[in-house]
Amino acid sequence: MVSLTIDGKDISVAKGSTILEAAALLGITIPTLCWLKKVSPTGACRVCAVEVEDVDRPMTACNTPVKEGIKVTTQSEKLSKIRQKIMELMLVNHPLDCPVCDAGGECDLQNACYGLGASRQEYSALLERREIRYDWPLIESDPNRCILCEKCVKVDHEVVGCNAIAVVNRGEATVIDTVDGKPLNCEFCGNCVGVCPTGTLISKPFKFRGRPWAFNVTKSVCAFCSTGCQIEYHTRNGRVERVTSEDENYNSGNLCINGRFGYSYVNAPERLTEPMVGSARADWNAAMGSAVAGLKGIVAKYGPDAVAGLGSPRVTNEENYLFQKLFRGAIGSGNIDSEARLGFAQAQKVLRERLGLQGASATIDAIDRAGAVLVFGCDLNAEATGIEYRVIKAATKNDAKLVLANMRDVKLKKFANSHLKYRPGNELTLINALTRVVLDEGLQDNDFVSSRIANLTELTTALSAVSVADAAEAAGVSEADLRSAGRLLGREKSVAVIFGADLMRSSGAEEAVTALVNLSLLLGALGKDTGGLFPVYEKTNIRGLLDMGVAPDMLPGNRAASASGKNLWQIIEGIEQGSIKALYLLGCDPVASFPEGERIRTALGNLELLIVQDPFPGESLKQAHIVFPSSVAAEKRGTFTSIDGRVQSLAKAANSPGEAREDWDILTELYNRLTGESRPASPASIMAEIAGIVPGYGADVILPAAFPAAGPISLAVMGVARPAAPSAQSYTLLPGAILYHSGTTTTWSKNNGEVAPAGYVEIHPDDAAKLGVSDGAALRLSAGTASVTGPARVTNSVQPGLLFAPYHFRSMNVNALLGKGAGSASVKVEKA
Amino acid sequence: MAQVVFSSWGGTVVDNRAGGEAKDASFRLPTTLDGERSLAAFMGWDGIILFDKGVDVPAMAAEYMKRVQTLYCCGKCTPGKKGTRVLMDALAAIVEGRGTEAHLDSITDLGDLLANCKCTLCQSSTVPVVDAVKHFRDDFLAYIRGAQKPVATHRYIEKYTAPCMDRCPAHIDIPAYIEAIKEYRFDESLTVIRDNMPLPSVCGRVCPHPCETHCRRKNVDDAVNIMVLKRSASDYEWMHNAEPPMKPKPRKSKTVAIVGAGPAGLACAYYLALEGYPCTIYEALPEGYGGGMIAVGIPPYRQPRHLLQRDIDIIASMGVEIIYDTRIGTDISLDDLKKKYDAVFLAPGAHRSKPMGVEGEDKGYKGFLKGGIDFLREAYMGRPTGMGKKVVVVGGGNTAIDCVRVALREGAEESILLYRRSRKEMPADVWEVDGADEEGVRFEFQVLPTRIIVDGNEQVTGVECVRMALGEPDASGRRRPEPVPGSEFVVECDTVIPAIGQDPDLSFIPENMGIDITKWNTVVTKYIPLKDAAGKELKDGMGNPLVRTLITDLDGVFAGGDAEIGPLTVVACIGNAHRAARVIQRWLEEGKVYLTDDEFMEDILTNFPVYDKGETVPWLDSVERAHQAEVHGRERASKGNYQEVELGFVDSKAVQEAERCLRCYRVAMAAV
Repeated sequence: MVSLTIDGKDISVAKGSTILEAAALLGITIPTLCWLKKVSPTGACRVCAVEVEDVDRPMTACNTPVKEGIKVTTQSEKLSKIRQKIMELMLVNHPLDCPVCDAGGECDLQNACYGLGASRQEYSALLERREIRYDWPLIESDPNRCILCEKCVKVDHEVVGCNAIAVVNRGEATVIDTVDGKPLNCEFCGNCVGVCPTGTLISKPFKFRGRPWAFNVTKSVCAFCSTGCQIEYHTRNGRVERVTSEDENYNSGNLCINGRFGYSYVNAPERLTEPMVGSARADWNAAMGSAVAGLKGIVAKYGPDAVAGLGSPRVTNEENYLFQKLFRGAIGSGNIDSEARLGFAQAQKVLRERLGLQGASATIDAIDRAGAVLVFGCDLNAEATGIEYRVIKAATKNDAKLVLANMRDVKLKKFANSHLKYRPGNELTLINALTRVVLDEGLQDNDFVSSRIANLTELTTALSAVSVADAAEAAGVSEADLRSAGRLLGREKSVAVIFGADLMRSSGAEEAVTALVNLSLLLGALGKDTGGLFPVYEKTNIRGLLDMGVAPDMLPGNRAASASGKNLWQIIEGIEQGSIKALYLLGCDPVASFPEGERIRTALGNLELLIVQDPFPGESLKQAHIVFPSSVAAEKRGTFTSIDGRVQSLAKAANSPGEAREDWDILTELYNRLTGESRPASPASIMAEIAGIVPGYGADVILPAAFPAAGPISLAVMGVARPAAPSAQSYTLLPGAILYHSGTTTTWSKNNGEVAPAGYVEIHPDDAAKLGVSDGAALRLSAGTASVTGPARVTNSVQPGLLFAPYHFRSMNVNALLGKGAGSASVKVEKA
Repeated sequence: MAQVVFSSWGGTVVDNRAGGEAKDASFRLPTTLDGERSLAAFMGWDGIILFDKGVDVPAMAAEYMKRVQTLYCCGKCTPGKKGTRVLMDALAAIVEGRGTEAHLDSITDLGDLLANCKCTLCQSSTVPVVDAVKHFRDDFLAYIRGAQKPVATHRYIEKYTAPCMDRCPAHIDIPAYIEAIKEYRFDESLTVIRDNMPLPSVCGRVCPHPCETHCRRKNVDDAVNIMVLKRSASDYEWMHNAEPPMKPKPRKSKTVAIVGAGPAGLACAYYLALEGYPCTIYEALPEGYGGGMIAVGIPPYRQPRHLLQRDIDIIASMGVEIIYDTRIGTDISLDDLKKKYDAVFLAPGAHRSKPMGVEGEDKGYKGFLKGGIDFLREAYMGRPTGMGKKVVVVGGGNTAIDCVRVALREGAEESILLYRRSRKEMPADVWEVDGADEEGVRFEFQVLPTRIIVDGNEQVTGVECVRMALGEPDASGRRRPEPVPGSEFVVECDTVIPAIGQDPDLSFIPENMGIDITKWNTVVTKYIPLKDAAGKELKDGMGNPLVRTLITDLDGVFAGGDAEIGPLTVVACIGNAHRAARVIQRWLEEGKVYLTDDEFMEDILTNFPVYDKGETVPWLDSVERAHQAEVHGRERASKGNYQEVELGFVDSKAVQEAERCLRCYRVAMAAV
């Protein structure tokens, strides 16, 4: 601790604290303009100048660390004069377009001028005007308004991990611009707009939508990925016009493109506004009546097992709970499942059975301070950008070692100390080899292993069959790299292990996740304050969906059902075979976003009753008998559970279009009509009911991680298969998420569409040369009877033999090429 | 003798404008910029120096501020960005006849306000301008009244510098690379470093970092750890498996041969390769031992081989061919090289051990080794060194220290260093001496070996020494050590390694070739004589002419590195070879050998110099210098253990240390 005096008051602060931080603890406010807590200090504006006794110049409080015994003065005539003159200089040639500036009313420069008494202008310089960048998508930059605080550049670089914008030029011509002067081409997270203190960087979709003070600001939770970022909806006339996030939020104000700009799907003209029966518009009463009659008729004729439902990670806990209750309680069917069956549910089963976990073992802030991070089979950039920001923070600010195991070059590569670019299908081989390296070199966490793990020898024996050299060869990485990756992880005391879609959706997912759990245990990733084991998913409420029992084998609270209903693929088979006659789709579009989409499309044609409850007219809706238009997250109340167990409330910020209703409301009415009950419901009352069944649940709570703090844990010992020889001939297609979209939802968002309008296929230059295609040429991919066509993107980020295509676009539905139970497909590729 | 007409440099005003008896002021400045054009005025961070009364000071001040604002001001702080612009416009208004006296007041006012700048660039740029307004007010008023119009009488040459980058022989833009680290941009930092330093992993580890002796932060507390920050930037790229970003220009047709793959040879090749010139380096040692003295003279516990090799591989990947195991003069003659290539750069280094001057050294005794540098080379290459168990090394430089430390790692039971002066006077870097101490090396200071003692088999059994004491001061005022009569004693040993120094082996240069060699056995290169006011020729620290073009007396043949400078440092060789690369390029493209104004200014400022150790730097000394982690204990020097001893910074530590940098940029401008 360091003791000092500020304005005559004594204080002790931690070594390394700045004068500004020390003053804040005393409640002394030193004016700042360029200072931003979440990035490195800049010291650009100089208005935080303070006097330090015996130092013959003013020091800037924001970036001057304290020293024992110093006496600091924050207010004096001299300082006021300096601050006022600096503000005058800052205003030299600043445009006077405040009345039409988007920042007007929320401008830090205005506030600072007012606060520091810059009421006149002593200085002048020749006026030069800089070009306004109207040619950027989503963001507009008016450098004339810029005060060079560098907040945008620093957030871009330090938080987001990009170099999209930089300080360019010299002297008065210095501006923030793209490095190459071309139009902005970045992640479009808009975090730069979020931190801009003036109207320099503004959101184009928000421009001229209204004065800042005219909006209702509603705190809520982001509806896209499972990170669970806290946001504010800004609405006017019941319409969402922008999304922001305060720096005080859990996510420190940082969002991704979906979080900040994805809201425009809410206002999409395609939104469903009226219930439909057959192809005709209907009122709610008629539609409900038809649904109830249809369901009752089918149950009466074929029994309750002829009814099935697919839920959604897009709807709230309350709605998922009601959905399963509708099925199990009102209909009497356990045939409910969801897209979790495509991988997450199986991964969660392993975590639950081996470690007692339903999701991550710790809240995601434990990643920030991990000594090493392993990101396996996961493009965090696309699947959970907010978690990627934390990994970047760990790697850049907190000296964590980063090991990336990914088939492609993803953004994290540049931060990684090791990138194991493995051949498709070698997840298990690679994990076992890493585990073998850790054991071989004695890198396991001995404290943890000796106190908690009893069967290390068994695993060591089983893994003695693993040849690191063979594994490396099969996986297409060098043995040296593989060993060095093991060392990077094994030498750190706390390790965060993060895994995602490539692993969960792979065909051997259960075994691979089991092996990853072993590795995590050996590395001592679990049971500590930092690090942990983190599954990642692209959609918000995947964890809540399962916690609420939307699964054929699990009841709310992750209790096993006494008899398992049919799972996703059994439901599809049931429809095909005629045993299932009615299907209820809640917020999901299996034709467009599940494997074997064409098979599903055909199957849906067999149904006697297809109910689709959705905000949007997706592919599956085309065959619906009854359509219930539903609300989106901005329009409803309820809770989402993030992957790390934070149950957060969303608030109703906007009005639903037309007659669309909140899902819980629709489900309640349907339940009442089916059962004859007339129980009113609200999200709060539903949550109260959930809390009685699911331990720990409630609005705005953090679910305790169930990993036991003590007691023996056993490693899962499996046989080790020899790695398969790589098949040189065929191409592997990996459909996956990209940063600019979330599921199919954001394909309805005009803003997202502006920067990522359509699908494409990434192909390695060697393969492109073999096929004789160049960038942009059309490629036809086919598997079995399914085929899709899209433009080639020739890039080294994929390896030879591997194709990657975003799976969001209905217009280029690459999911259709997948077989069930696989996240990748062997495909035929030709020039189209 | 050139007379100072006016000077406000350093705050001391000498004003001889009125005539009368001239007051004295002398500066380490030459009378001409380039041997021809007279230096008429010099303006910079500490004031104005006027040699020629005809210089238009208001016009020069206006031009100075314009260049500062438009060419160098980084725009990253409000007073700097806006203040220098207001100053520039005010001065322009005056010179263009639009000025008022209010402009002069504004200039003075901003001079005070700009003390609040983030760094010293804009802040220090107000000094000569405010001095001008103060001491040349009448000249400004003449402009304001319209009585004066600008007349172009002089040409202005400006130079952007900083004390550290000025002192660095390679002139790396140190504040820029440190600032990049502050901003967590290790990659950009390395790009800046590579602009002047093609072997960053090396000079991030083994550089004697003269820059740190000219670090202005020293005037506050302690120098910034500039060298380890360089290592941080360099290691970052390696630790993140990143591809180096350099892209050589399209390949040109003229070719260059380079003798020696040491720091000078590699540096020259690097910069010529960037320009597209195909370079071929001839290296006498076999493949795997490139790097010259860095490889065979600096042990791997200081400079890990794989990192040196990485730097070499990067240079090779830029299109530089390295032909190993080929000695010029033996395997191919210099004349052949000259015929085969459009230009030849000689950088053979200084690899020949100097004799020690002790009785018995020339007898070929078993256990008396040829020299320190030979011992290090043999050990490095894994060949038999001839070393026994009790090793005595004679010398006080870094090579001697390397020898005692390597001897331990080669399995010596005892490693003893004999030096004729005291520990304080050792030319070796202090941290190297401390390192040897920690590893268990025995030191015998102030002793002079006089005789090698051998047994009947001519095997060394000891060294007879005599104690030394400081005698009376000699003509230079330095007290020379003298033997103390009767203090003779014997240090028992089975191995003696003389590590007195090295000089170049230039036997490969045929006598009749027209390449002259100095009496210190270095290659003579052409130079531009610059003289000070007293008529004395300016020299560099090694006694060479200050400004050299690095071409030998033979057209098309250039020389650099230790063989041109005299045995010095890696960084000096690199700076020298970088200049050679530029000169060679001019020779290849224009058929002329010359230096640019910027290069003249560079050398003139280094001689000036930019750093002022007497300057009072007001700053809060709240963060002390960070030191890199290090492996401690004698085990680090156990037999066969060449693991690196110093471990660098973790990134966060590097950022914290970078924050200590005061970014002492400044602009000098000469009128000629």
